[in-house]
Amino acid sequence: MRADGKAYVPLKILIAGGFGVGKTTMVQTLSEIPPLVTEEALTTASVGLDDVTAVPGKTTTTVAMDFGRISMDDLVLYLFGTPGQDRFWFMWDELARGSVGAVVLVDLRRVDDSFPAIDYFESRRLPFVVAVNSFPEADLFPDDEVRDALALRPDTPVVRVDARSSGSCTRALIRLVEHSLRRDGAGPAGSRTLASASGTG
Amino acid sequence: MPEPGRVVPVYAVTGGRTRSAAVDLPMESLVMAAAQASDGMQAEYRQILEMADRPVSLVEIGSALQIPVGVARVLVSDLAGAGYVTVHRPDATRGDGRPHPAVLERLLEGLRAR
Repeated sequence: MRADGKAYVPLKILIAGGFGVGKTTMVQTLSEIPPLVTEEALTTASVGLDDVTAVPGKTTTTVAMDFGRISMDDLVLYLFGTPGQDRFWFMWDELARGSVGAVVLVDLRRVDDSFPAIDYFESRRLPFVVAVNSFPEADLFPDDEVRDALALRPDTPVVRVDARSSGSCTRALIRLVEHSLRRDGAGPAGSRTLASASGTG
Repeated sequence: MPEPGRVVPVYAVTGGRTRSAAVDLPMESLVMAAAQASDGMQAEYRQILEMADRPVSLVEIGSALQIPVGVARVLVSDLAGAGYVTVHRPDATRGDGRPHPAVLERLLEGLRAR
């Protein structure tokens, strides 16, 4: 048993994007623990929309999500790779609630795959950055063209990442947190509250 | 006034399950052991207490015990209710549930230092 008296603060960032775009790789690159997989039971509400229709008599299945962790003193940041399929929106809601924001990974050869994630975060007003993963032809397109292709709002940051490089992925997270802060503005009253509570470390 | 990373108040455990209280616990909530396992305690509870020697989240517990997060949530609520663990919830002092700017500033520092 350890009673270190710290007020640990869990945080989370979502890593979203189309299938095979590098979400798992990015979580793996950033995580201090071997990335883990967790499961949530899928409710019967999804029956009819889900694969289970192909399995007579089966009414439930599970959603697997991978996640990783970065500890920084009393802050513990979790990274969640979002379930790829659109039918798992209900899962996204739980993941998005209370999160710092999202990194939407994009493969420029398949930009359409990133539209559901971008639409989702825009409609929920959740801060996100678009991270163009360094697949072979990614460098051929300047940021302006990427913005146009994705119909991004002017204030949405676009960054280039190599999902295999820890420095590159960390920079993407930094851009996200900066973006999130810029959008919020300062909250002086709350800062005072936190200052009094954070002297435990 | 609620403080960031506050400890969840002790749940009123009646008859073992604490469904309604457990539902509110976000999956990234951090669990810390506050007491030793007692004799005859169910294996899952013991495992959670061992893991919670350092802060671990509900998702990590679910993954390690190979149970859905929802089940981990109920088990952790039981332990919290009986005083075996403390639970640190996410900082949710803002109206929209997003982390407070002061927490984000510290996160930024932490990431830049990596």
